[in-house]
Amino acid sequence: MNRKKDKGFESPRPYKLTHQVVCINNINFQRKSVIGYVELTIFPTVVNLNRIKLSSKQCRIYRVRVNDLEAPFIYNDPTLEVCHHESKQRNLNYFSSAYTAAVGAVDPDAGNGELCIKVPSELWKQGDEMKVLKVYIEFSLDQPKGGLHFVVPDIEGNMAERGAHVFSFGYQNSTRFWFPCVDSYSELCTWKLEFTVDASMVAVSCGDLVETVYTHDMRKKTFHYVLPIPTAAPNISLAVGPFEILVDPYMHEVTHFCLPQLLPLLKHTMSYLHEIFEFYEEILTCRYPYSCFKTVFVDEAYVQVSSYASMSIFSTNLLHSAMIIDQTPVTRRCLAQALSQQFFGCFISRMSWSDEWVLKGISGYIYGLYLKKTFGVNEYRHWIKEELDKIVEYELKTGGVLLHPAFCGGKEKDNPTPHLHFSIKHPHTLSWEYYKMFQCKAHLVMRLIENRISMEFMLQVFNKLLSLASTASSQKYQSHMWSQMLLSTSGFLKSISNVSGKDIGPLIKQWVDQSGVVKFFGSFAFNRKRNVLELEIRQDYTSSGTQKYVGPIKVTVQELDGSFNHTLQIEENSLKHDIPCHSKSRRNKKKKIPLMNGEEVDMDLSAMERQGNRSRRKTSTGVFELGADSPLLWIRIDPDMSILRKVEFEQADFMWQYQLRYERDVVAQEEAISALEKFPTPASRLALTDILEQEQCFYKVRMQACFCLAKIANSMMSTWTGPPAMKSLFTRMFCCKSCPNIVKTNNFINFQSYFLQKTMPVAMALLRDMQNLCPKEVLNFILDLIKYNDNRKNKFSDNYYRAELIDALTNSLTPAINISNEVRTVDNLNSDVRLILEEITRFLNMEKLLPSYRNTITVSCLRAIRMLQKNGHIPSDPSLFKSYAQYGHFVDVRVAALEAVVDYTRVDRSSEELQWLLDMVQNDPSHYVRHKILSMLGKNPPFTKASESSLCNEALVDQLWKLMNSGTSHDWRLRCDAVNFYYTLFGLTRPSCLPLPELGLVLNLKEKKAVLNPTIKPEAGGIGGVGALDLCANGGIHTPISGFPSSLEEEHLPMEPPPNGVAPAPHGLKRKAETPLGSPPEPVQFTAQEEEDIDMDTVHDSQAFIYHHLNMLERPSTPGKEPPLVEQTLLSMPATPLPAFIKEPSASKHGEHHHRHHHHDHKKKKKKHKHKHKHKHKHESKDKDKDKDRERERDRDRDAHAFTSSPASGRSLRSPSLSD
Amino acid sequence: MADPASVGSGSLSASGTRSGSGKTTTSPAENYYLARRRTLQVVVSSLLTECGFESAEKAAVESLTEMIQSYISEVGRSAKSYCEHTARSTPTLSDVVVTLIEMGFNVDTLPTYAKRSQRMVITAPPVTNSPVVPKALAAGQKRVHPPYIPSHLPDFPDPHTYIKTPTFREPVSDYQVLREKAASQRRDVERALTRFMAKTGETQSLFKDDITAFPLIAARPSSIPYLNALLPSELELQTLEETDSSEQDDQTDNENAPSNTVTDEAGADKENSVLPPGGVVPAVKPSEETVIDNPYLRPVKKPKVRRKK
Repeated sequence: MNRKKDKGFESPRPYKLTHQVVCINNINFQRKSVIGYVELTIFPTVVNLNRIKLSSKQCRIYRVRVNDLEAPFIYNDPTLEVCHHESKQRNLNYFSSAYTAAVGAVDPDAGNGELCIKVPSELWKQGDEMKVLKVYIEFSLDQPKGGLHFVVPDIEGNMAERGAHVFSFGYQNSTRFWFPCVDSYSELCTWKLEFTVDASMVAVSCGDLVETVYTHDMRKKTFHYVLPIPTAAPNISLAVGPFEILVDPYMHEVTHFCLPQLLPLLKHTMSYLHEIFEFYEEILTCRYPYSCFKTVFVDEAYVQVSSYASMSIFSTNLLHSAMIIDQTPVTRRCLAQALSQQFFGCFISRMSWSDEWVLKGISGYIYGLYLKKTFGVNEYRHWIKEELDKIVEYELKTGGVLLHPAFCGGKEKDNPTPHLHFSIKHPHTLSWEYYKMFQCKAHLVMRLIENRISMEFMLQVFNKLLSLASTASSQKYQSHMWSQMLLSTSGFLKSISNVSGKDIGPLIKQWVDQSGVVKFFGSFAFNRKRNVLELEIRQDYTSSGTQKYVGPIKVTVQELDGSFNHTLQIEENSLKHDIPCHSKSRRNKKKKIPLMNGEEVDMDLSAMERQGNRSRRKTSTGVFELGADSPLLWIRIDPDMSILRKVEFEQADFMWQYQLRYERDVVAQEEAISALEKFPTPASRLALTDILEQEQCFYKVRMQACFCLAKIANSMMSTWTGPPAMKSLFTRMFCCKSCPNIVKTNNFINFQSYFLQKTMPVAMALLRDMQNLCPKEVLNFILDLIKYNDNRKNKFSDNYYRAELIDALTNSLTPAINISNEVRTVDNLNSDVRLILEEITRFLNMEKLLPSYRNTITVSCLRAIRMLQKNGHIPSDPSLFKSYAQYGHFVDVRVAALEAVVDYTRVDRSSEELQWLLDMVQNDPSHYVRHKILSMLGKNPPFTKASESSLCNEALVDQLWKLMNSGTSHDWRLRCDAVNFYYTLFGLTRPSCLPLPELGLVLNLKEKKAVLNPTIKPEAGGIGGVGALDLCANGGIHTPISGFPSSLEEEHLPMEPPPNGVAPAPHGLKRKAETPLGSPPEPVQFTAQEEEDIDMDTVHDSQAFIYHHLNMLERPSTPGKEPPLVEQTLLSMPATPLPAFIKEPSASKHGEHHHRHHHHDHKKKKKKHKHKHKHKHKHESKDKDKDKDRERERDRDRDAHAFTSSPASGRSLRSPSLSD
Repeated sequence: MADPASVGSGSLSASGTRSGSGKTTTSPAENYYLARRRTLQVVVSSLLTECGFESAEKAAVESLTEMIQSYISEVGRSAKSYCEHTARSTPTLSDVVVTLIEMGFNVDTLPTYAKRSQRMVITAPPVTNSPVVPKALAAGQKRVHPPYIPSHLPDFPDPHTYIKTPTFREPVSDYQVLREKAASQRRDVERALTRFMAKTGETQSLFKDDITAFPLIAARPSSIPYLNALLPSELELQTLEETDSSEQDDQTDNENAPSNTVTDEAGADKENSVLPPGGVVPAVKPSEETVIDNPYLRPVKKPKVRRKK
C-alpha cells in the first residue's frame, strides 16, 4: 500500500507534534506511584482542529489544558475489556476479531487514541491561523501494571540501600502506559524530559543530560534531559535507581549503569562495547547518531534487551565476570543487537506497522555482519542455518509468516493470514512466538537481498538512509523533513533500486508480500552412458506454510575432478534437470581431489567403490546406476541458503559421509550429520568419530556429531563393538595419560575443547543397551567425572560444566521398572538411581552454600529431579518445585521450577497445580515469569483441543477467557500469550466442555418461570432464561439480549468451518458501536466511535469528571478493572471436578456481587443527576437506555435469586435430566 | 630371756603360718609385711627384756610395736623427703641424721647407746621373699650411663619413653591416588557440611515415607536474588586471584580471549595499543576522570533562588 505512494509520509492526524515535555515530579517507591505532567506542542494541519486524540493508558488524568485553557476530555479504552463482560461468547474467533477491532480503535498509527481532548472553542479561531497549541496534561500513575516496573526488594534500609529501582518497559509502542503521548513510531518530535528523584538515585533517560539540580530541601534532585533529535514516543524510556555509574574508558560519552555491588561485573562486561561501536560505525560509514549512549542493567527486565533513543535497558542477568565462558558470547550478542537497533529502530523509525520488517531486517542483518566479524564465518553460517531451520519449522507448523501485510482499504474480509488465530494487523495482537519468527525472517530476507545486490550496495543503501535521516534530524521542524527519518518499505526499495540499479521486485514479492517457505525434495540418478547427473527437484507447495518457488537455484556437485556450481531454473513443470558431469570415472589414478575452496585433499575412495559395487549388483536397469563409475562425491542443493527453504535430499550414505568429512562448509557438515542419523553403519560411525577428533573442525559441528553418534550407536546396538561410543575419545582428549579413568584437572583455556568436554558426557548418557538402559559403564564414567572434577587450577568457572554433568545424569535415566503400582519409597530405590540422587542432593545442597553463576546447577538439579519423578523413581510431587518457583529466587531457577510444575500439571492432570500456575500468571510481580508460565503452558499444555481431559471445564474456560479479555490488558505480550494458550486448549471455536444451550434447560426454565411468576413480562422472562444459563455457565457473565440469539445460533452449529467463525465479528463490532463499551460501574466512559455525536461539555463538566476521578483515588486507576477483579476472586476458588458443588455458592455470590454493583450504580446515578441539566439532551436517550439496562439487570438479579431460592430450579440446575 | 621373744616370735610365726595356711589367698606381699612386723615385735620384746621386764601383755607389746613402726616409718619418710629435696633418689646418712634431729632426737647419744654392754642381739629376721613388683614392660636395651654421669644416679628409663623413632614413608607421588584422595576428601567435606546444614536447618524431602533420606536444604527466597547468582563466590574469587598471580602473563590474553572460539587478533591488538597491557582499566581511570566530561560525573547544582516557585 505504502509502496504505491512515493510521496513521503502522510500523517493520520490532523496535527503535527513538534515538541513534548515530560516532567515527572515525584516517584514514590513505597507506594509505587508516579506524578507528573506532559506538555505537547502541536501544529494543527487542518482548519478548525477541535479534537485531539492522544494515547494514554492506565494514567489517571487530573486536568488537561490547551494553551492555558481548561479543556474537557474523554477517556475510553476498549482494550481494557475486549468483549463486553456480559457476553457469553467463548470462541476465539469472536475474541480475536473483537480484540483486533479494539486495538484498531485506539491505534495511534491510524490517528486514534484513548484520550480525546476537545480544543476549547476560544482557540478555534487560532486554529485558522495554524497557531501552535500547547496541550498540558497532569497525570499520575498508581501501582502501574504495565509500562513502568517497580522493583522494590523487601529488606531493611532506605530505597537506595535496598536497590529499589523502576524502569519503563513494553512490547512495541507501549509508552502510553506511563505518560500520555502520541504513541506511534511515525510521530516524531523533540523532547525535554525532567525527572525529580531522591538524591540517592539516578534517573537515566533518553537524550543529553543537561544538568542535575537539587531541589530546595536538598533531598531530591532533578535530572534535565534534552533530546534534540526527533524521536517517536515509543522510543522514550526511563530508568531510576541507585545505579552505580561507569563511564566507558574508551568512549567517554558512553555511560553504563548497574545496580549496587555489581560494578566489577559491569566493568568486565562492558570492556568490549567500543569494538561493537567501531564496527557499526565503520560498516555504515556513519557516526552513531546520538551524542551519547547509556546502558542500564535492571532486575526483572521484561526482555533481555530493549533499545530506546540513545539508551538501552538490559537485564542485569547479562552481567558476568571474567570467569564465565558461556555467558560471554551471549551477552556480546545482546549488546550488538541493542546497538544495531540504535541505528535502525530508534534513530530511523518505521512509517507504519507494515514497514516493521525493514527495520527489524536491517538491524538483524547488520547484527549478523557483526557476528560474522567477531565470531567468524563458521559461527555466522551456523547461525544463519539455525535461524533458517527455525523459521522453516515454524512456518510449516503454523502456516506462514507474512512480513509486509498489505491491508487493502482495511477490508476485514481480506485476511492475509487466515491460518492464524490472531490478527497480524497490529503489533499488539501478535503472538510473541510469531513476532520472534517475524524478526528472524526479516533479517534472513535482508540477507537474500544482499545476495542479490551485493553487500557493498546494501551498505550503501543503509548509509544513504542514515545520512538522509541525520540531515533531516538536524533541521528545525519543517513540514516534511522529519519524515525522512521514517523508513517505509517503498522508501527502502526505492533506495535499493537507486543505488544498485537492480530490480528486486520478484524477490520482495516472493518473500515479503507472501508468506510461506519452499519445501524441496531432491533425488538424483547418474546416467553413465551420457555421463550426466539427472537431478530431480520436486516441490511441495500445497501444504500449509509453503509456497511455490520459481526461479534460479544453485546446485553444487562435488566430483572427482573438483567442485562445480550449476544454476538451474526451477520452472512450473520441469522437475528433472540434466547436469553434465565433468569427470570421467578414473578413480584408480591416485590424485588429489580439489574442493570448492581450492584446497586439494586425499580421499579414501574405497567406500565409494564398495558402495558402487553393491548398488551395481542391486540395480540392473543401468539408468539408475550409482556405480563404481560414478564420479559424484556429493551434491548440495542451494548451498548458500539463498532461498528460504527446507531441502530433503536423497543421496547415498557414503556421499553424506564424504560430505561430512571433506566439505568445508559448516552448513554442509551439519546437514550431513543430520542425514547420517538414518544410516547407522560402521562407516558413519567412523566418519563421525573422525570429525569429532578433528580439531580444525568447527566446534558446534563436533558437538552435533556427538549426539548423532549416540543415536547411531543406539541403532547399531547389536553390532556395536568396542567401548561405548565417545568414551575412548573422551578419555584420550580429557583424561590423564597415566590413569585413564580420571579426568584432568579443569583447564578451559581452549574454548573449543571446553564446549566439547561439556557436550560429550551429555551425549554419551543417551546411549542405551539391549535392556534399553544406560550402560553401567557409561553411568560410572559420568559419576567419575563428577567425582574427580577439580577446578582449583582453572581460571574459569566450571559451573556450566558441572551443570551439564548433571544433565548427563538426567539423560541417563530410564523409566523405573514398576512391578506393582506401589508407592515409591527410599527402600526400593534402584542402586544406580540412588547414586544419581545422592549426587544431585549434594549438588543442590552445595549450591545453597556456594551458589554458582546464574544458579545453573540448581536449574539442572531441578530438571533432574523432575526427570526422576517422571520416570517413577521417586514419588511425583510438585511441592519442591513450587517452593523454588516462589518470587525471590533467581529467575532461571524459577523458570526451571515452573517448567517442572507445568510438566507435572500435564502428566498428573492436576487442576490444583494448574490453578496455582494461573494464579501466578495473574499475580506474580515479574512480567517475564508471567509470560514464561503462559508460553510454557502453551508448549506443554495440560490438554489440547484434540484430547479429552477432566481439567477441561467451564470454570477454566471462564477463567482463561477473563484473563485474556480483561485480566491482561496492561501487557500486550501477556494477553497474546493468554490467547495462544486458550487456542492450544480449546481451538478457535467454542470449547467443547461448555454445555450446549439447546439442552432445553433454558427453554424449560423459561417456561417454568412463566408459569411460576406470571407477573413478569415476557421480555424479563427471556432475560431470566439467560440468567439461568449464566448460572450454569458458572460465573458472573451476562449476556445482553442482542448477544443471545447469536450465541444460540452458533451453538447449533458447533462444527462450523472457519469462515463462519469469522461471521460473528461484524456483529460484535456493531454492538460495540451501539452500546457503551465500558462496564456499568464506570459511567465515565463513552465510545470514541461516535465522534460526531459526542458533545464535549463545558469545562465544568470535565472538572466534575476530575473530581470524580480524584474521589476514586483509592480505586484502580483505570476504568473497567473492578468487575474483573471481583470475578477473578470468584474464580480463584479451586475448581472442583464435580460441577454441581460449585454451582450454588458461586451463584449466590454472583447475586451479591450484583447488588454491590447496584449500589455503585445508584451512587453514580445521583452524581450524574447533579449535572444532568447540562447534558440532558445529549444523554437522555443514552440514559434511558442505561436505565432500561439497569432495570433488566435488576430483574435478572431478582430472577437469579428466585432461581437459587426455588427448590425446583435448584434441582434442575444440579441435574438437567430431572427437568422435564 | 630370749624365750618369750622366741616364744612370741614362734607364736607369731605360727599364727603367721596358720593364717597363711588358713587363708590360701594371702598374697606374698601380705606375708612380707607380716614378717616385718614380727621382727619388730621381737625387737620390742628384746628392748623390754633389756629394760628389765619379765613379761608383757600382748596388747602392750602390740602398742609399742605400733609406735616403733610409726617412728621408723616417719624417719624413713622424712629421710626420703630430705633426700629428694636435694634431688637424689637414695637417702644418705646425713638425711637420716637431719631427720632425727628434726624429730627431736639427740643424735650424739646414739653411738654410746649403740655401744652399750647389755644390748641384745637378735637374729636376723627370716628371709621372706620380698613382693614381686610387677615389672614394668622393658622394651629394648637400657642405655648405660655415659662416663660423665655418676653411677649412683638412676638408670636411664626404658628407651621407648624417650627415643623418637623417625617414621619415614615414601611421599605419595602416585597421581591417581592423589586425585582419588583429593576427590574423596572434598566429597566428604561437602557431604558433612551439607548434612550438617540440613540437620540444623529446614529441609525438604523427596520422599514422603522417609524424610531423612536425601535431605535437601530448604529453598529460601532472598530479597535480592540476582546478587548471589551473579557475583562470583569468595571461593571463586580466591581461585581467580591465585591463578591470576601465577599466570600473570596470561592476564592480557585473558581480557580478550573469552570472546569465543575465534580470537580476534586484530581486535586484541587494537585494544592493547590503546591501553597499556594488563588489567589497566581501574588503574588508569582516576587520572582520566579528571579529563572525562561526562554529565553524570558533574556535580549536582544547587537550586537557584530565582527558580523558586
